[in-house]
Amino acid sequence: MKNVLAIARREIKSAFNSPVAYAVILSYLVFTGIYLYFIRGFYAVGQADLRDYFSIMPVVLAFLAPALTMRSWAEERRLGTYELLLTLPFTEGQLVLGKFLSSFALAAIALLLTIPVPLMASLLGSFDTGVLITQYLGVLLEAAAAVAIGEWISSLAKNQVSAFVGSVLVLLALVLVDKVSGFLGLGGVVASVIDWISLAFHYDSFSRGVIDTRDLAYYLSAAVLFLYLSAWGLTRRKWS
Amino acid sequence: MIELRELRKSYGGVEAVHGVSFAAETGSVLGLLGPNGAGKTTIMKVLTGYHFPSSGTALVDGVDVAEDPIAVKRRVGYLPESVPLYQDLTVSEYLDFAADARGLEGPSRAAALERAIGACGLSGVTRKKVEDLSKGYRQRLGLAQAILHDPPILILDEPTTGLDPNQIIEIRELIRSLGKSKTVILSTHILQEVEAICSSVIILNEGRIAAQGAPSEIGEALKGEERIRLRLKTVSATFDQGRLSGITGLRSVASCRAESAEVVVAELVMPPAKSGDIEAGESVFDWAVASGLKILELERRRLSLEEIFVKLTQEGEGR
Repeated sequence: MKNVLAIARREIKSAFNSPVAYAVILSYLVFTGIYLYFIRGFYAVGQADLRDYFSIMPVVLAFLAPALTMRSWAEERRLGTYELLLTLPFTEGQLVLGKFLSSFALAAIALLLTIPVPLMASLLGSFDTGVLITQYLGVLLEAAAAVAIGEWISSLAKNQVSAFVGSVLVLLALVLVDKVSGFLGLGGVVASVIDWISLAFHYDSFSRGVIDTRDLAYYLSAAVLFLYLSAWGLTRRKWS
Repeated sequence: MIELRELRKSYGGVEAVHGVSFAAETGSVLGLLGPNGAGKTTIMKVLTGYHFPSSGTALVDGVDVAEDPIAVKRRVGYLPESVPLYQDLTVSEYLDFAADARGLEGPSRAAALERAIGACGLSGVTRKKVEDLSKGYRQRLGLAQAILHDPPILILDEPTTGLDPNQIIEIRELIRSLGKSKTVILSTHILQEVEAICSSVIILNEGRIAAQGAPSEIGEALKGEERIRLRLKTVSATFDQGRLSGITGLRSVASCRAESAEVVVAELVMPPAKSGDIEAGESVFDWAVASGLKILELERRRLSLEEIFVKLTQEGEGR
């Protein structure tokens, strides 16, 4: 665990020593703010409900997570620090977990910085705190899965740009895929399989304030799966 | 203590190292020498647990790198050729990370940091960001990272590239002193470096060992002959090259020319002197005295490592 934290600490230090982390978090806050207040016209609608605000989070996360994870492995490769990292006494699991933890922490920081939004809104009307907490939980869980996917793609990518583009495409596909079944009028097993793999589909009940263990399990197992894939890739590389 | 047994490593079907075996004892500095692509870096990457061998074994202090890479990594300090550093960190943040990675804590951590910073001359730049450092300081920071945890094994891939002459001398001095208590393996293509700091040398060519031994031994083994440069003052105005044949044991005359009317310069090929034999210089001297000539200069030309290197790596191409 100490090793995991050492890796995560180094990542976070690097992120905040460069303007990248600030820029990513700031643009996230600005974009979601603009969406809520101007595009959705929060004050004009006059409802003490942030469902709209939370409902775009899957799409926003499809950009936020790649922006935070693109550097992760791709940057290590560019700088050659990849070799340093893999010759320090860390196991592949510790490396993957440390990097995941740092990117997830940055995503969580970005999400928690949105707390003033519901706080300010609560002055205007009565909010259901339980729903709000569930909504945050849902976003955090989805962020965990998205970050794990982003980390994995970064571990395969040659450089930051391809890591970012690749992750955005994969995440957007996973977010929007549940719209396909409705659009094509699919039904039955096909539709439910497509829905099941969608990141956004599992987020729905959270955004309504309902915690479904199936959704919980989906996000957690997606995160574990992609972390495992990253670690497996690192181990395999040694033999090639 | 490092031991390689029949080490082979291929990358995607292409074999880079073809069955290399050697051992390096504690308290020695082993130089790996060879042209680019000879397999130096590959061997180092196997010894640091970055790559696993395709076949054969690599033992670091008796631990197999493929079986327990973490135990090996703990014992090894490594400076890769590219000197990888995190650009966004300051020097002390970077070393802090290395100390974390090595599990250094408490007073021993502070002592280790101070020792590494002192030994590599980094005390003036600890607050600087890595990206603002000069090439020389980066190299020193990489080395500080490698020696931070006082590892019993040090693996240095071209440790003095990019340094100025004063820094090179300092770093060589540091490596030599580290080599007294550790096993140090360094790769280089600077031959003076090998002569200056290595206790033994392995010359690699195309993934095979072309020669190994102490730097002086390699020279001896390859020499097979002794070359003597001679500058003579002839008493008479004419000097006949044929007179040189009077030298006992002379094999051939590589060159002979008159520098001026009275001075002749010649290069003689003599058999190598084995212990007990008369040295080449001695027979030249005796001949000159007997012929009534005056020796102005008599120089035994050593075959430099450069020449050995070129000889070996070119001969190796036919194999």
